[in-house]
Amino acid sequence: MDGATLVIGLAGVLTAAAPLVVATIGETFAERAGVINLSVNGTILLSAMGSFVVAVSTGSLVLAFIAGALIGALVALIVAFGSITLRQSQVAIGFVLTLFCRDLSYFLGNPFMGEKGPMLSVHPIPLLEDIPVLGTMFFKQDVMTYFSFVLIAGAWWWIFRTRPGLVLRAVGERPEAAFARGARVKLVRYAYTTLGGALVGLAGPMYSLSVKAGWKGTISGLDGLGWIVLAIVIFGAWNPVRVALGAYLFGLLQWLSVVLQPHLQGIPSQVLQVAPFPLMILTLLFVNIGNAEWVERVLAALPERPRKAVARAIRALRVVQPRSLGVPFEQD
Amino acid sequence: MFLRVVLRWRLRQKRRRKEVVPPSVRRRYSHIGPAKAVSGSSPDGSQGSVNNKKCEVLSAMPASRSRHVLICGALVVVLVLIGAFAAACGEAEEETTTTAAPVSSTTTQTTTEAAVTTTTAGETTTTAAPTPEEFIFGMVLVGPYNDNGWSQANYEGGLYVEKKLPGAKMVYVDKANTADRPGTTVEQLAEELVAQGAQMIFFTSDDMKDGAIAFARANPDIPVVHSSGDGAWVDGKDYKNLPNLSNIMGRMEYGKMIAGVAAALTTKTGKIGYLGPLINDETRRLAASAYLGAKYAWTEYLGKDPAELKFRVDWIGFWFNIPGVTSDPTQVADNFFNQGFDVVISGIDTTEALVEAGKLSQAGKEVWAIPYDYVGSLEEAPAVALGVPYFNWGPEYLKAVTAAREGNWSSFFTWVGPDWADINNPDTSMIGFAKGEGLSADAAAKVDEFIAALAGGLNLWTGPLNLQDGTPYLADGEVATDQQVWYLPQLLEGMEGQSVSE
Repeated sequence: MDGATLVIGLAGVLTAAAPLVVATIGETFAERAGVINLSVNGTILLSAMGSFVVAVSTGSLVLAFIAGALIGALVALIVAFGSITLRQSQVAIGFVLTLFCRDLSYFLGNPFMGEKGPMLSVHPIPLLEDIPVLGTMFFKQDVMTYFSFVLIAGAWWWIFRTRPGLVLRAVGERPEAAFARGARVKLVRYAYTTLGGALVGLAGPMYSLSVKAGWKGTISGLDGLGWIVLAIVIFGAWNPVRVALGAYLFGLLQWLSVVLQPHLQGIPSQVLQVAPFPLMILTLLFVNIGNAEWVERVLAALPERPRKAVARAIRALRVVQPRSLGVPFEQD
Repeated sequence: MFLRVVLRWRLRQKRRRKEVVPPSVRRRYSHIGPAKAVSGSSPDGSQGSVNNKKCEVLSAMPASRSRHVLICGALVVVLVLIGAFAAACGEAEEETTTTAAPVSSTTTQTTTEAAVTTTTAGETTTTAAPTPEEFIFGMVLVGPYNDNGWSQANYEGGLYVEKKLPGAKMVYVDKANTADRPGTTVEQLAEELVAQGAQMIFFTSDDMKDGAIAFARANPDIPVVHSSGDGAWVDGKDYKNLPNLSNIMGRMEYGKMIAGVAAALTTKTGKIGYLGPLINDETRRLAASAYLGAKYAWTEYLGKDPAELKFRVDWIGFWFNIPGVTSDPTQVADNFFNQGFDVVISGIDTTEALVEAGKLSQAGKEVWAIPYDYVGSLEEAPAVALGVPYFNWGPEYLKAVTAAREGNWSSFFTWVGPDWADINNPDTSMIGFAKGEGLSADAAAKVDEFIAALAGGLNLWTGPLNLQDGTPYLADGEVATDQQVWYLPQLLEGMEGQSVSE
């Protein structure tokens, strides 16, 4: 494979991973506030279908993306209401919703199966696109891919460098303390869950109007990606930059499985086809390994020098979840 | 250094354990506290205040509970409203009222019932108790009935039978694959169709081979057709000798050869990609046919060196995309186009290659694609479609249903080619090729010339041909038998890509 092909391929990875980036950062917002929105898989399918229908009926891409975000926000609002106001199990609500939204999208989308819809087109950025390598990778993309780049930086800045971001983190870590300091815990949770849901909802049209254009019901190839989104958020330690890297890693693995097939004749093709999913789960295991007690014991038995190196590596990878993730807040 | 880290972490863990009092525990305490105060009947003032507080709690309890009930009720109403809204948009009002719960068995039933009601436009009969002149046949489809591909071609074959044979009715169940219906076998689905009155069953995927044979064995009185299978082929490797099992397949080899010719005449880079599903006898021989057609056009019509033609097969792992099971066909097609393969021939049930070609051509790339299976699939990106080799199952299915209905059913194996008088005749030709807008006028003329040559007896499955690893397959002048074609053990020499799956 020559250099130019490689660069185009990597640019394709950035495009293909863009919906995952947006969805994972949306979920990061919700989980930072302490709410697990487990409905991601269903939300992506429902918003992909809904926005495709809007795009086909109105011909407007802008309306379609707005519809996608609204659908995502609506589903997230149900999760927020159930878990924040009713204080029910977030996992149960999210799981039921994900199944409900999935089947609903297949059912409602049926009349639109295989229709030809509008598609996002590529908008190169003048001047910047002429930069060798980087120009092709980063500045010859569609609008939503640019949005995903901006979102990574924006989300990081918001969460770690602003006062509202501090409140957000406080609400997810110690809602009691945040409440005592005057934060309106429930309102903050509602806001970020809904915002996160809207971002997840944007991932749907990014698939159905760009990355995997069209709506094909059960064979759209979108079912299952939502679960990977949830895994990537954990992998990314609820940090937008690391979460985005996780999404790109997954995209890269998928791309590699395609690119390597002709060159690895000895390996059964199925192995490569399935590889990205278990690999992602394995990395998840790996980043959580630092939290296990037996690892410490094993480490203590190691000689000094390798122990330091291994410990440093594990520490760098280790993730600690927001302390009040999934715990309903009681205001007494 | 490390120890310090661990210590600090341990400390933090401990602190955390101390600090976080689970709300469930707190709730329990708040409940127990006042309850104890009740038992202690002391006239003390402070106790009294506790008592008062307790009374407040008690009186508040039912209220908060009733509020919960109210809110839960509201939630249910919201969901129902969403459902109702959904039904209004879904253009299928009758169905929603019956499919309140998405239980798989009820949905399959309602969808099949819906099929009956929609296909017998106007008539109000349901699937209950067939009247004597009525004949119900069941069809098991691997993908959605409207996939613009293989399953839709089969489904429309069934509609053709309904139209041509008065009294014939189809009941079907689609999405019969492990991803959509985990834990359900195709035999179970076929039994369900029988329960709805089906007197004959079509299994319409290579994937259903074992299920079709098992079902035929268990139900010797029900005529069974397994499309694309070989269980009823006396001269085949897998003959089962079941009197009620038959096979129908089209000689898509011809369609794929024509597609290969169209691809070779169009490519500017000399690189043709083949988007393959899973690796088996059928998919190998179809990919090889496309290659034979491409090589023929490359050497005979263009007079170029066959060594300059690159033909690569990339497999995704199933007939359509299932995340976590297959490669993503969109990415595979994209990868072909990025690497300079400017024509991609699709061998899978769905149209990702064509859609991706359409998208890239919007961005200014010169690429084309050839979908597969279903004549209507060209519509998804007409400008970049060179054409589509498609199945027209109707006429053969009509023959089979007629035989079963009139009671003169016997096991048969039929492998039907195009009607060379007019390969696109919907009433006579099993295999067709519809040209697309992307095919230039010159190339279209050559494609017609090629079809005429095939009609005149041209056979590309003629030696000398070697298998991919160089072992001789056909000697010079030797013509492949049906068995040799059907059970092609590898791809052919000159093709790139995996030949066997293990």
